[in-house]
Amino acid sequence: MPKGRTTNEASRRNFLKAAGLAGAAAAGAVTPPVAADAFPAAPQPRPKATLPGPRQIAAETMAPADDPVNQSSSGGDYMVDVLKSLGVEYMAINCASSYRGLHEAVINHGGNKPEIITCVHEDIAAHIAQGYAKMDGKPIAVACHGVVGLQHATMGIYNTWCDRVPALIFGGNILEADKRMPGAEWVHSGVDIGQLVREFTKWDDQPASLTHFGESLVRGYRIATTPPMGPVFIALDQELQENPIRDPERLRIPKYEPVIPPQGDAAALAEAAKMLVEAKNPLIICDRVARTPAGMANLVELAETLQCGVIDNYGRMNFPSRHPLNQSFRRALIGQADVILAIEMNDLWGTLTHFRDRIVRTSHPATKPGTKIISLGVHDLFQKSNYQDFGRWQDVDLDIAGDGETSLPVLTEAVRRLVDDGRKAAFAARGEKFAKAHLAMIEQSKIDATIGWDNSPITTARMCAEVYNQIKDEDWSVVGSSIRLSWMHKLWDFKKPHQWNGVSGGSGVGYNLPASIGAALANKKHGRFTLAFGGDGDFMFSPGALWTAAHHKIPILYIVHNNRAYHQEYMYLVAMAARHGRNIETMDIGTTIKDPNIDYATVARGLGAHGEGPITDPKDLAPALSRAITAVKAGGPAVVDVVADPR
Amino acid sequence: MQPKHIVFMALAVGLATVAAFAAARAQDAPNGDAASGKRIYLADRCFTCHGRSGQGGAYNGPTPILAHTALPFDAFKGQIRNPINDMPAYSNAELSDKDLADIYAFVQSLPGPGSPKDFPILNN
Repeated sequence: MPKGRTTNEASRRNFLKAAGLAGAAAAGAVTPPVAADAFPAAPQPRPKATLPGPRQIAAETMAPADDPVNQSSSGGDYMVDVLKSLGVEYMAINCASSYRGLHEAVINHGGNKPEIITCVHEDIAAHIAQGYAKMDGKPIAVACHGVVGLQHATMGIYNTWCDRVPALIFGGNILEADKRMPGAEWVHSGVDIGQLVREFTKWDDQPASLTHFGESLVRGYRIATTPPMGPVFIALDQELQENPIRDPERLRIPKYEPVIPPQGDAAALAEAAKMLVEAKNPLIICDRVARTPAGMANLVELAETLQCGVIDNYGRMNFPSRHPLNQSFRRALIGQADVILAIEMNDLWGTLTHFRDRIVRTSHPATKPGTKIISLGVHDLFQKSNYQDFGRWQDVDLDIAGDGETSLPVLTEAVRRLVDDGRKAAFAARGEKFAKAHLAMIEQSKIDATIGWDNSPITTARMCAEVYNQIKDEDWSVVGSSIRLSWMHKLWDFKKPHQWNGVSGGSGVGYNLPASIGAALANKKHGRFTLAFGGDGDFMFSPGALWTAAHHKIPILYIVHNNRAYHQEYMYLVAMAARHGRNIETMDIGTTIKDPNIDYATVARGLGAHGEGPITDPKDLAPALSRAITAVKAGGPAVVDVVADPR
Repeated sequence: MQPKHIVFMALAVGLATVAAFAAARAQDAPNGDAASGKRIYLADRCFTCHGRSGQGGAYNGPTPILAHTALPFDAFKGQIRNPINDMPAYSNAELSDKDLADIYAFVQSLPGPGSPKDFPILNN
């Protein structure tokens, strides 16, 4: 028997013996006075700090006996295998030491799969993931450097959260304090780095073993991609990434099986169908319905079965722009509807209300009294408290929790069963009226678009018309827009699921350029022609995204709607001055981007993209676009700087 | 009366006014200086919401076209002094009646919409 064990057992016996004696003494003693108990005669010995002994000093200062200089496996390799098992195609990064283990493993163990997308800022990486997932339907990974990189990425993660888009966000970290190198590794580490993004991610974890990591990543992927979708965060311990795999025989890749999205209750959908069929003026309003290419077709089928109008808030490619039932620019219909079906609306109250931004803010319903409202969506299945991305409370008459896209075929079938021949005729007559109104809207839009046609700065109508004239015969996909630019949806023929992918979600400026590049990355493998409009203010938040597009040869035509201002704020400041009766002429201070004017084409060229502009004369726009399109077709990004009117 | 009824009534009155007086707008309008109006229109930032060509735009919602407006001067002035919706009000101290007449003359001088048939790329 080893000597040490004898000693330990003897010590344990002595400890028990002493405890037993003490207990017996206590049991037979008279209870002492309270004062005596509070002030013991002899002070109890306190544990003291001890100096490190020679063995401890040796352990911390000398090379260990087993000090290998090579390893044949690493936790990072396993992490890559799990990522590949999920079909994650890309990992957008700004390289950093806190995930150097994973980074090296992706390249050498994974053969650069998931493919590294090099970004010059983590905000760009997160927004690229957002744009990609909306177009491809699948999330990609984003790796952030400890607490510093994660804080850079937060705006992109927040937009992704508000936009209900899946993403896999990683953050490098070193949990064990005695493993951290002095300096940066301390200030880049945290006890709970997920806390930084917990309020705008669906789930987060800090795996403590590789088995734990495997389960976390598969679980996180499932959570992120189950409606309501959203980003998830996983902290990657640096030791876990870099150290050899100790027990490979115990590691396995957990099985991932996609969750069947939650469908609305069949009885509730049947009730909704009854209300819609019996309505005189039913109306559909929608925001983020189409998650997959099937979504638009499902919504078209319902609308055509009912022959009712559809108002699209453009959160996704929900409804064809030239469909006769598309009434998106006839919002007055909300006031005429007797039954409204609202699908995947995040801010239903905002859509059904007239709000006045005056000194005293007031609001009143856009609906007429007695209008029945049906809500169908997953928004209430997952909410958090701090960030108010859910809008004001809206009373509804039938609230169905269920994924809109998944529930639509069931609802349509229920409607179809209720439509007899008499109703069919009435519905057809209703549809005819909508078709005429739709054509009239398009015609009026064309008439309005002619105003100021040859003026400089170029009107936004002319800008959009010139662009469409050159891309209309391509398999185009427009993946970004400047604020309140409505001409595309009025005049262009959006009819394919990939021709639009919504906006930022959180209205956080800086989304448009990198998210558009992310969508272009997803479009690249399909050979689609990707284009986007974006404001000049948004462009300057992260122009470095263009370098990523140039470096990875991501083709995209990017039109800078250059109104030389943060224009929405400019208008608000004018309103503030007018409200006070004070000087309006100085309201360009702090709201405009001039003196000097930024030359976006030169910026683009400096980042490896093709650059055109600034275009101030509308006659110069078509040739500039033509040259830029040629550059895009050659496989890279091109920027056209259009000096345009504000809206 | 609920606020929305007030708004609807105001809109109805406004539209009726437009219909009734559109033909007579030129006669009813005071003489204004279009060149001065253009200067004020740009300096006082009317263009930020209504466009430099008076083509309209967007603030919190769509903003109306002003180029060659059919709105009679009194309705035009009424909207500026006591606007409906989110448009800021401009008092006489900020924009005098003379200023309004000049701006009105300027927006009246702007070419109105043309025929889309004359703009082939609008017909794609």
